[in-house]
Amino acid sequence: MAQVTLKSLKKTWDDAVAVADMNLTIEDGEFVAILGPSGCGKSTTLFMLAGIYLPTGGEILFDGTCVNEVEARHRNVGIVFQSYALYPNMTVLQNILFPTRFQSLPDAAKRAGEMAEMVQISDLLDRRPSQLSGGQQQRVALARALIKRPNLLLLDEPLSNLDATLRLTMRAEIRRITRDLGVTTILVTHDQLEATTMADRVVCMNAGRIEQVGRAEDLYLRPDTLFVAGFIGSPPMNLIPLPHPALEALPSARTFGLRPEALHPAETGLTAQVTHVEPMGREVLTTVQTPLGAMRFLEATTQPRWQSGEALHLTWAQEDAILFDETGARIPNAIARMTEQTHA
Amino acid sequence: MTDWSALARRSIRARRLRLGALSVFLAAVSIPIAVPYIWMVMIAFTSRRGMAETGTLWPALIVIVAGLFSYGAALLWLRRERLAIVAGIGVALVLGIVLLGGDLHVQNFRFMVNANIIEELQGQATAGGQFPWVWEAFANSLILAATQTVIVVTVSTLAAYYLSRFSFRGRSAFLQSLLVLQAFPAITLVIPIFLIVFWVGLLNTLYAPILVLTALELPFFIFIMKGFFDAVPWDIEMSAMTDGASRRQAFWMVVLPQVRVGMIAIGVFAFIKGWEEYVFVNGLRTGNSYWVMSTYLYYVREDVMGVDYGMVAAVAVLYVLPALVLYLFCQKYLTQMTLGGVKG
Repeated sequence: MAQVTLKSLKKTWDDAVAVADMNLTIEDGEFVAILGPSGCGKSTTLFMLAGIYLPTGGEILFDGTCVNEVEARHRNVGIVFQSYALYPNMTVLQNILFPTRFQSLPDAAKRAGEMAEMVQISDLLDRRPSQLSGGQQQRVALARALIKRPNLLLLDEPLSNLDATLRLTMRAEIRRITRDLGVTTILVTHDQLEATTMADRVVCMNAGRIEQVGRAEDLYLRPDTLFVAGFIGSPPMNLIPLPHPALEALPSARTFGLRPEALHPAETGLTAQVTHVEPMGREVLTTVQTPLGAMRFLEATTQPRWQSGEALHLTWAQEDAILFDETGARIPNAIARMTEQTHA
Repeated sequence: MTDWSALARRSIRARRLRLGALSVFLAAVSIPIAVPYIWMVMIAFTSRRGMAETGTLWPALIVIVAGLFSYGAALLWLRRERLAIVAGIGVALVLGIVLLGGDLHVQNFRFMVNANIIEELQGQATAGGQFPWVWEAFANSLILAATQTVIVVTVSTLAAYYLSRFSFRGRSAFLQSLLVLQAFPAITLVIPIFLIVFWVGLLNTLYAPILVLTALELPFFIFIMKGFFDAVPWDIEMSAMTDGASRRQAFWMVVLPQVRVGMIAIGVFAFIKGWEEYVFVNGLRTGNSYWVMSTYLYYVREDVMGVDYGMVAAVAVLYVLPALVLYLFCQKYLTQMTLGGVKG
């Protein structure tokens, strides 16, 4: 197990910057998710950690020692690829045992049995990967990555090829296994639900840079940047460009943000007209037209309360509104008010 | 009111008609291809005075057609593949014994046991080691085909892996030139190649055709193998390397087993090319320095006074046999070749 540090890590392909100046410390035994849209450099970071890509600049430290020049096979890193990358010419057992062929592990066979049991594939050991379902293949990949007791476990979009129910089970399974083993784990994903449910800390990346590092609720409630505010949360945050005649706010503020669940119907407040109602099961999402533009609000009810065309008033608590400056950074403790003319 | 059963009857009738027409067409176009081979075998086993015995050729066709018809009829009535085959072979055997039983003999194959067949045919005067025993030519052909197969498979596999996985200066130009080389008929090169071989001092040795054929075949087979390597995902190799394998170990243990089909396929084709080669084996010798099967067959037809067509056909049967056996055993891999070759 290891503590992993990235020091101004960089990776460029010719002129294209994949990762620009990345600084991050991951504690021993921590589960960190790197979350971002596709092409943000998260997989590149993962492959640099595994030793598959050589960094263009900066350092990767395992327990304080620079491993930039250490080959992938000597880093003792386990990796689960999005495609699982099982070896089709080998049985499940041979797949799990593959990493032990390159180092003397006295109890390899016994350990393979334990691993298979842990990921619940003990009855499939003689099969070929082509005879397994997606979920089973993924369990094999996990067992193979863990058999050599890696310093670091890397998961590259491990759940994206599974169906929804299986994804739910595997999320909990992976979390349980990594916690039991206490292995430092880095999960790369574009699915915010995966990141927030599994990880101790979430690293949100965009265009090769880290936007914010924190616990899931930090990213949700106190997004550092406009990008994080827009990327995290489903349905997304309402974002209104400033200055706006209907809003009274700091002159430096350029964007006003409000989560859909922070907006409530009230006796008085922002005038709004319902344009679209979407029942989502436990909640109802309503889209309205207001003097501030189109906005969405979420109500915890199974029965829609509004109909298209209906007029209502909306309000929000001052502390729920978030303001961003022209660089996209959040302005702490800033408050925005509705102007008199809006307040009907 | 639609008459469903009438429509169904019409559709069944149309389908049967199409199937019947297709069978007749396929049978018609395969006759000119199949008949020469059947007759070659018949002449080899029935010719008595050095001439093709027309008296046996037509009955031979009757035997085969009758066998095929009884196979088809049995298949239609019994609907059991194996029984139908037994019926077909049975009918053909009985008819064959009745119609041809007295005419079959193996006298034409005496060249296989008589080391000096030319003396027997033309008398003492023409002897003097001009014309070898057939097994010498057979062995030379085998050496030529096998050696050049081993070289072609090894070199094209390694070269194709490099082309598929690494980027280097001039890679695309290299790939294009591989294809351009295929555009020139090899026979246009006979004279320059003769000169090179002469100056290098390999004229009249088996090395010359081995090296020349290898060089001429490599571009195409490299291209085909590259297609197979392109179809092997990167992930698998990367996974092997994080599991502790070196690049070379990953190649041997994980990548090579995936392209086994391709190697078998190009191996078969390279072997058959070497086995059937005539131009470059005949063109790169000035006397009777070495004999292979193709030159042996040619001189059996050419040099022997009062050509013995029975023996020519018998030599041809022996010549065809190894290639035929190889095809039969490797058929299943050959049909997959186009798949791998087209990809990438």
